[in-house]
Amino acid sequence: MGHSFGLFFAVSCVAGFVGAMAGMGGGIVLIPALTWLHVGIKQAIAISMVSVIATSSGSAAAYVRDRLTNLKVGMFLEMFTILGALAGARVTVAANPRWLFLLFGLVLLASWATLFARRDEIWRPAAHPDNLSRWLELEGSYPEKSGDVSYQATRAGWGGALMFGAGLVAGLLGIGAGALKVLIHDLVMGLPPKVSTTTSNLIIGVTALAGASVYLSQGLVDPGLAAAVIPGILAGAFSGTRVLVRLANRSVRRFFLVVLAVLGVEMIVRGLRGAG
Amino acid sequence: MKISRRDSGRMEALIGSILAVGVVGSVLFLAAGLFWQRRATGAIHLNHALRGTNLFGFWSGCAQAVAGGRWSPELLVNLGIGVLLLTPYVRVAASAVYFAFFERNAKYAGFTAFVLGVLTYSLFLR
Repeated sequence: MGHSFGLFFAVSCVAGFVGAMAGMGGGIVLIPALTWLHVGIKQAIAISMVSVIATSSGSAAAYVRDRLTNLKVGMFLEMFTILGALAGARVTVAANPRWLFLLFGLVLLASWATLFARRDEIWRPAAHPDNLSRWLELEGSYPEKSGDVSYQATRAGWGGALMFGAGLVAGLLGIGAGALKVLIHDLVMGLPPKVSTTTSNLIIGVTALAGASVYLSQGLVDPGLAAAVIPGILAGAFSGTRVLVRLANRSVRRFFLVVLAVLGVEMIVRGLRGAG
Repeated sequence: MKISRRDSGRMEALIGSILAVGVVGSVLFLAAGLFWQRRATGAIHLNHALRGTNLFGFWSGCAQAVAGGRWSPELLVNLGIGVLLLTPYVRVAASAVYFAFFERNAKYAGFTAFVLGVLTYSLFLR
């Protein structure tokens, strides 16, 4: 397939920008956009999985140095997400593209519902960490303007089991599944929002590599497309993050809710029409 | 085993550096390949296919081309993709070594070794 570099670069920039504004990777926007440009959904998923490694590693590098990421939580949960990602990518390789469109649309709408339900939620620290979480040493602190904030994760067992599911979705659909991971960190393990997001970023890179290796082995990673998408999505994500800090949380969330709803409905409609 | 803030800081600096070097290195290879393609043909259309292979097979192909001096825009782009794919792998390997030999934390050395083992298996998939 010959590629118009400029077009794919521009689309990836927009996907990275919108993804960063929403605090997610660009995959959730990139995959629908690539399919509009007549890239097969399996190739789009494969290329997105590779680009997710770039965006998550780029941002994780900064978050880890700033002591926002909890490395132990990340390294414990990675054991579950990589197994899920390997299983998910295997399913995609064998799946009918129509089902992938439908499933992608449903995941987008589920992410929309989750964000909508939690739009005004405030974090409260876990009162009593369980024995497993204590044994795993899942406590930590992160810097705030007012001083270090301490926290202790809880329900590590449930977190691990659910992370297998998040990895499955990531491998299946070629996205970071950051929304699901953040949700598990927040609601199940009681991590503060900043730690949830940054730790999820660290895990996404390894999860994406497990999925990408399956797509690479099936010849679904197109280097010409990757050469346009990777720099594009990184440039978009970089500028999106810069704009994000100047915007109010409420505007960002509203913007992303609209994007998720439109893309979700559109992918489901294409799945029902039998797009391939 | 509890780790001190200083030990944890060293670990964070190591991981942060590996990730940053991996992403920047990958983009530099991709940019060099695209620039070369533009200079050679006047357009940035890369049209080379990648047949199904595992990451180690992919790297072995790149290494043979580099050793044989067969430099080309396609090789630079492949190196960019290869460096990017290796970045999380090297990060996990470095974490395993750090936990095992510097912090001597058997629990987390075991966890990271497990992740490294599964990743290594996945990178040999065909």
